[in-house]
Amino acid sequence: MTAWSATALSAADNVATLLHAVERGERVIVRTTAGDIGVTALEPIALCHKIALRDIAPGEAVLKYGECIGEATAAIPRGGWVHIHNVRSRRGRAPQASP
Amino acid sequence: MSAPTFQGYRRSDGTIGVRNHVLVMSVTGLTGPSARRIGRAVPGVRVVTTPFGSGLMGEDAEVQMRALTAFGCHPNVAATVVIGATPPQVERIAQSIARTGRPVEALIFDECEHDAITLTERGMRTAARMLRDASRLQRTPASLGDLFLGMECGRSDPSSGLVSNPLVGCVVDAVVAAGGRALFGETIEWLGAEHLLARRAVDASVAQAIEAAVVRRERTAVAAGLDLLGNNPGPTNIAAGLSTIEEKSLGAIAKGGRSPIRGVIGIADPVPGPGLYVQDAPAYAPESVGGLVASGAQLVLFTTGVGNSFVSGLAPTIKISANPVAVRRLREQLDFDASDVFERKASLEEAAARLQSVVLDVASGMLTWGEVLDEGEEVVSRLGPAL
Repeated sequence: MTAWSATALSAADNVATLLHAVERGERVIVRTTAGDIGVTALEPIALCHKIALRDIAPGEAVLKYGECIGEATAAIPRGGWVHIHNVRSRRGRAPQASP
Repeated sequence: MSAPTFQGYRRSDGTIGVRNHVLVMSVTGLTGPSARRIGRAVPGVRVVTTPFGSGLMGEDAEVQMRALTAFGCHPNVAATVVIGATPPQVERIAQSIARTGRPVEALIFDECEHDAITLTERGMRTAARMLRDASRLQRTPASLGDLFLGMECGRSDPSSGLVSNPLVGCVVDAVVAAGGRALFGETIEWLGAEHLLARRAVDASVAQAIEAAVVRRERTAVAAGLDLLGNNPGPTNIAAGLSTIEEKSLGAIAKGGRSPIRGVIGIADPVPGPGLYVQDAPAYAPESVGGLVASGAQLVLFTTGVGNSFVSGLAPTIKISANPVAVRRLREQLDFDASDVFERKASLEEAAARLQSVVLDVASGMLTWGEVLDEGEEVVSRLGPAL
């Protein structure tokens, strides 16, 4: 059995959830619906936190469960930690005033 | 394989209890201390109190009245002492309970000249008699389809959405398929996932009601100038790895399984029939669980990531976590350990079969940790200003 240590539940997902904490430089095996893939963690990431599976551009949707969980507020490289410092909700915010 | 069964209490109104509680219920703030004193003097009774009273108005007053009445008519309740300050409200609640065929006694503070010791003495005698009578009732066989599950999540982490909530969803689908009932609330935790819930609605009006409920909550937050980040998800959720309300919601709705959603109900509204319903209500666990139990849930399946001690006093509340650290740390809080699924040592299907058997054991009388430790409480939401 492959020692997979992160999971992405949908083929569309650009993040995976870590099933144990990882160190910087650690090779993470991610179980995806399309098979296992390897990603190198660019920084330490805690248990249950998210790792980027692809480069994510600022403003791009962050996808988990195949659904949008918010948008990137900064460029997130593949292998980077994805959390409130670089992703924010698209909901529960006042509508932008029209110019 | 024989059909799954449990042993329950068949009530005269046709409902089936998984517990046989005698309830001492204070329906006005003035009489709460006496109700609690009666509870201490007659061990074994359950106590429900409210701090509020005649200042409530409009929908707020209706919700309080509906919820308190519902606690007295709950399937898990065998008999009730209703205690309050003045006749009309106490008698209305007592009459509604009496119509279900359950023994009920009304005790009115006015008739004790507002002497708490007199009220306590009358309450003790009444509760003691009811407790002895209720102990004669026997459990009889009931089926999975006789269950009404409430689903709740609290202090969630990403393991909740990956494992615990889908696990609960499997048991919910089995209960619904067997003809049972299920209900979950926490409207703000549909936000970002409401399109998935709406897709499961039985018709367009239910789909619209789901989406409208979410928009109302979202607007309320925005109008209050609230950033959901830090509130929901809260600091514990964020530390555990949840980044946005959408992420939390997409995990949270899995506790409702995949069954069709038959309707949206209000706090303490009865569900109209078998199947899965959702309740438009606040997400904070004590209020949310109170709403589910007031709508008739006999048993609550409560998922948590890092642990949450809140349970209902009337409906046994099964605590489920898949977080390997939490299940080791909170051995006398978490009733079901799903960490083997999280650690890839067991499949979701295997764990769901195990959870269903724990649900049936608890329905037949096995105590939850929350019952052993007497953590239970019923809370009714407040909706607006009072006079």
